[in-house]
Amino acid sequence: MKYAARRVVAGLTTMLLVSLLAFVAFDLISGDPAEIMLGTQATPESLAALRAQLGLDRPLPVRYLDWLGGFFRGELGISYQYKQPVWELIVPKVGVTLCLSLLSFLLVLAVSLPLGLLTAGRTGRGEGLRTALNQLCMAAPPFFTGILLSWGFGVALKWFAVGSFPDMGQNMWGALRYLFFAALALAIPRAAMTVRMLRSTVAEELGKDYVRTAAARGNSRTQLLRRHVLKNALPPVVAFLAQTVAELAAGAVVVEQVFAIPGLGRLLVASISNRDHPVVLAIVVILAFWVVLSGVIADLIQQRIDPRLRLGGGE
Amino acid sequence: MKKRNGCLTAGLILTGFMAVFILLGCFWTPYDPTAMAVGPKLDGPSLQHWLGTDNFGRDIFSRVWKGTGATSAIALSTVALGAVLGVTAGALTGYFGGWVDGALTRLNDAITAFPSILLALVVLSLLGSGNKYHVVLALGLVFAPGYARISRTAYASLREANYVQSARLMGAGHGRILLVHLLPNTLYSLMPALTIGFNNAVLAEASMSYLGIGVTPPDASLGYMLSEGQGMFSAAPWYALGAGGVIVLLVFGVGLVGQGLQSRDRGVG
Repeated sequence: MKYAARRVVAGLTTMLLVSLLAFVAFDLISGDPAEIMLGTQATPESLAALRAQLGLDRPLPVRYLDWLGGFFRGELGISYQYKQPVWELIVPKVGVTLCLSLLSFLLVLAVSLPLGLLTAGRTGRGEGLRTALNQLCMAAPPFFTGILLSWGFGVALKWFAVGSFPDMGQNMWGALRYLFFAALALAIPRAAMTVRMLRSTVAEELGKDYVRTAAARGNSRTQLLRRHVLKNALPPVVAFLAQTVAELAAGAVVVEQVFAIPGLGRLLVASISNRDHPVVLAIVVILAFWVVLSGVIADLIQQRIDPRLRLGGGE
Repeated sequence: MKKRNGCLTAGLILTGFMAVFILLGCFWTPYDPTAMAVGPKLDGPSLQHWLGTDNFGRDIFSRVWKGTGATSAIALSTVALGAVLGVTAGALTGYFGGWVDGALTRLNDAITAFPSILLALVVLSLLGSGNKYHVVLALGLVFAPGYARISRTAYASLREANYVQSARLMGAGHGRILLVHLLPNTLYSLMPALTIGFNNAVLAEASMSYLGIGVTPPDASLGYMLSEGQGMFSAAPWYALGAGGVIVLLVFGVGLVGQGLQSRDRGVG
């Protein structure tokens, strides 16, 4: 309990620091939002009025606290580009990106857990080929496999209509089918990495003395894995999977562009090229929170698995 | 025990082949990659145009060839920048230790928890997008903490080694010990990370250029060519296939080298 509470507090502190850093960085480079919004028609009076209206005449710490409060109230300022509240732009897109990265994570798990566990510690014929295949999958960039998949299944086979993403509320099934192919492109390299990580962790554990003793007492491979090896091999794997969740969310930024999926990533890219800093800042902080959250959850799971952490001996 | 390292051999052959291909492309390509109408528009592969031509009648093979060189050059500069920054920071903190070391290591842990492509996008949006120097700077900064961590560990583990103490007794200054005695010994453990870094840089640069915020025309880049190729995939699939295929080959070869280096290290240690 104490460990869990400490970990959650540490996570919250990280989130605060990240949001502060991001806010200050974007504040430094943004220039004057009032000037950007008014453009060439600006007069000194209208600039001053808009600054006062946006609250830009206040000192930085006050503005940060205000922005942070707004983050929870759903007020994140006005987009320079779209002239509408950032919050309204972002909310409908969060679900899409979340679905995409979770679907992709499920695919990674479904492929890599069985493959990794079945092949761990087994070397011999086909090892070279397997390593080569693994490396090839890792070298398959999602934006390229995405192009191939969207062309093959979307344009040629017409299993989904590329470019017209169905509304998630009305057509959940159609949206999921659309997202599936994007999730697949995203999952391939990550699944290959997970298989490799799982194989080496489990193989290392299988080589240890206690496993040899257990094997000598007549345990089968399945029993060995289930009763002894997995418990010890799992904590680093959980940490790796948390990293995977984070990487998939970041990778979604690229894949959404390939499949024309209206998610956070597409908005982020558009806002970066438009220098629409309030939107970029909000999306970056949301993605960062997602990363920190997955790390905290992984730590809590690790602590459930590994009693040494619970007793504080793991520190 | 001497074991054949198939990964390393295959990787070195493939990477060597790609290196020759890229170097040759610096001096000569079959056609000028930017010259329009060197052939009919949107033509399929032929003996004159191995990968066909695009909608402006430009030779796709020459374009992909040139783009491979540009992408590799950016990836190499990124690795160099990241390694110089990272190794410097890692060497100083690992060798001298102290509270600065502790604080920076903590910070480093926090930074490396974030996906590098996300950090790169943030840095790029701070610097301003669509400029290849900004791409190199953003990726170099983002990858530096990873190298710093590895060299910090290596420096910290070697700082009390016998040969370092002997050097100190013989009156060598810190600078000499850091550069002459320790650096060569730590580079060895950095090698696999450098190959992985090259791959990550290729993929990150290609992603960002594909998104239109990395390297933009007139500079050549495989990522941008992929997004062009996607637009005309039905008419000229060879464009996207060529650009994407070259990325896969490049990353595959270097990845095999990295894997081979890692298993060799494990075999030795």
